[in-house]
Amino acid sequence: MNAGRIRLRQTLAFWGPLGLMLAFLLLPFYWMVLTAVKSRQELLNTPNPWWSFHPTFQHIVRLLTGTEYGRWFLNTLFVSTGATLLSVTCAFLAAFAITRLRFRGARVLSTMIFLCYIVPPTILFIPLASVLIDLGWFNHLWALIPIYGTFLIPFSTWLLIGFLRSIPRELEEAARVDGASWLRIMVRIILPLSVPGLISAIIFCFTLSWNEYLYALVYMFSSQNKTVSVGLITELVRGDVFQWGQLMAGALLGTLPVVLVYFFFVEYYVAGMSGALKE
Amino acid sequence: MTGISRRGFVQLSAAASLAASGPALAAPYQPLNPIEKGAKLQLLRWTGFINTDDAVWKKNTEAFTRATGVPVQIQELTWTDVQPKSALAAQIGSGPDIIMGWYDDPFIYPEKLVDVSDVCEHLGKTQGGWYPVAQTYGYDQNLKRWIAVPIGAPGAAVVYRESWIKQAGFDAIPKDYDNFLKLCRALKKTGHPIGLALGHAVGDANTWCYSLLWGFGGQPVDAENKVAINSKATHAALAYAKALYETMIPGTSSWLDPSNNQSFLAGKISLTINGISIWFVAKQQFPKIFPDTHNADLPIGPVGTPTVYNLFSQAFIFRYCRYPNAAKEYLRFMNEAAQVGPWVTAMTGYVTPALKGYAKLPVWTESPDITPYRDVLAGTHFDGWAGRPGRQAATALNNFVIVDMFADACVNGTSPQAAAATAEKRLKAIYG
Repeated sequence: MNAGRIRLRQTLAFWGPLGLMLAFLLLPFYWMVLTAVKSRQELLNTPNPWWSFHPTFQHIVRLLTGTEYGRWFLNTLFVSTGATLLSVTCAFLAAFAITRLRFRGARVLSTMIFLCYIVPPTILFIPLASVLIDLGWFNHLWALIPIYGTFLIPFSTWLLIGFLRSIPRELEEAARVDGASWLRIMVRIILPLSVPGLISAIIFCFTLSWNEYLYALVYMFSSQNKTVSVGLITELVRGDVFQWGQLMAGALLGTLPVVLVYFFFVEYYVAGMSGALKE
Repeated sequence: MTGISRRGFVQLSAAASLAASGPALAAPYQPLNPIEKGAKLQLLRWTGFINTDDAVWKKNTEAFTRATGVPVQIQELTWTDVQPKSALAAQIGSGPDIIMGWYDDPFIYPEKLVDVSDVCEHLGKTQGGWYPVAQTYGYDQNLKRWIAVPIGAPGAAVVYRESWIKQAGFDAIPKDYDNFLKLCRALKKTGHPIGLALGHAVGDANTWCYSLLWGFGGQPVDAENKVAINSKATHAALAYAKALYETMIPGTSSWLDPSNNQSFLAGKISLTINGISIWFVAKQQFPKIFPDTHNADLPIGPVGTPTVYNLFSQAFIFRYCRYPNAAKEYLRFMNEAAQVGPWVTAMTGYVTPALKGYAKLPVWTESPDITPYRDVLAGTHFDGWAGRPGRQAATALNNFVIVDMFADACVNGTSPQAAAATAEKRLKAIYG
């Protein structure tokens, strides 16, 4: 077998599966872009559904001028940012306590925290609603921040426990010998070393908050409290008439913050998932 | 000082001009029940199927606020999302004061709802009475009181392309099942298949499957709420559906509610069963096919009377509502002629009102294509017919037992007997 054929086979073996995987992952995104720019006629009937011959921005313009998309976007940004900050802070403190303070039952506790994540929101939303009513938090946009914590904190804590365990104990022991308090160790030593893990937790929390639907649908009443996911469905799905162009335009614009977050922090995310520091 | 002051003069002038402006302004608003002081309301309703619906509903609500001083906050949800939200409200005892729900919703938690008998009786007396199906969806036979104010039905009719029907050798949509099947076969032959949803389309699939089942005399349950699906009539309905399925465009087994609209507007199908939304959207956005698009009554089955199944909406007030009189007054106000007329007209009859008197609205005869939707309630059966509406009927509907039975026979090739036996098993699990 000559070298050319070997190189071709290697190239195919590498790029073939990769290309298939890419096509599989990017296809929904391509379809979203395509639908957002197709004309009304093309959306229903076109000789080639994989291309737009008369692209238009009318759906995007209508979405931005004919609905309260801007408001939904800002609401989602507010809730997602708040929920992410709250959850990552709580999760880091919990993970630090479980991995570094060495108290009895720490392992059981970490498993129990993870089990909390397994409880599906569809089971949780009725009892949680009673709690919200008692607290007077119903229909307050900010209330979604602690609500999202119910599913964000358990997984983030579990994620950070794994990451913090990979930080060598010698570092904190050296600091202890030098007389540093636990608070000082946490802030000055563990926190800077945890940045990759924290970023992966932030990305995880932000993405889940951004896409959340059930709680935002059920616990918010006013139109001004709608998030992107709820606003799109409730305003652009009219019985059996779906505004596909605007729906996809809204989904497309809605993915941008998440795409940007991933774009800038993807390396940290990978490092955080695999554990950046090894003993 | 005996002379009139400047301020007094202005007040008198204002009063005089108000009195002179006519009796409409001078007459104070008369509520049926005294409205509670400081009342404010929250309404949860489904997003209008046609955008003019929401706009006029909001205007009418503003008129109510002007007349009574009661502010009403409206939340709109996709129609299929209303049920879980109302179930949550019923469960936790808090949420919107008034909910516009669907089908059997009020019969799932009847004891948690405010008695609206006075409003319904008043409206019935003044607006020509309720259609029987509306009464069934609003009046609880066990509690002996009205638990919901019927609003109306986004009715279903046959939507078709006239030129293709003529090309197939027919002048109009046949009135009976046999000729209807002949038409569908002829349409298929001329390359213009029909399309009816057989997926889990809450509106479209249930509508035609239940109508067909009842049209042959089949019933999910009898008058005693005992499962009666596995009958010769059901087998005949399934055999007919199978023949009809052969005339359909491929892929209808995965169709959801928007699918037939899209296929029709794309010119892929010649005929379907739907609300007026296809005709309305064609009128607004598809001028090429609009002149060829028409609506007609559903054909009548061997039973000889209309057996239509339609979506149906009614409004109910939960007992946790702090201002029940205000809520009842709102529902009365919104169902009065002054509000219903503009509302129904604006959406070209998408919702057929539950009160018979509104069949006289001019909108119904503005176009012969709107007229079929005027009378849909006259031949409509309620969910769970011939039994009772309620939790079991709602469960059977939500689980798509009847639609699945039809899909089983049409798509999977299961014999009518076997498909009916499977449905029977599922219904027995629900009805006990």
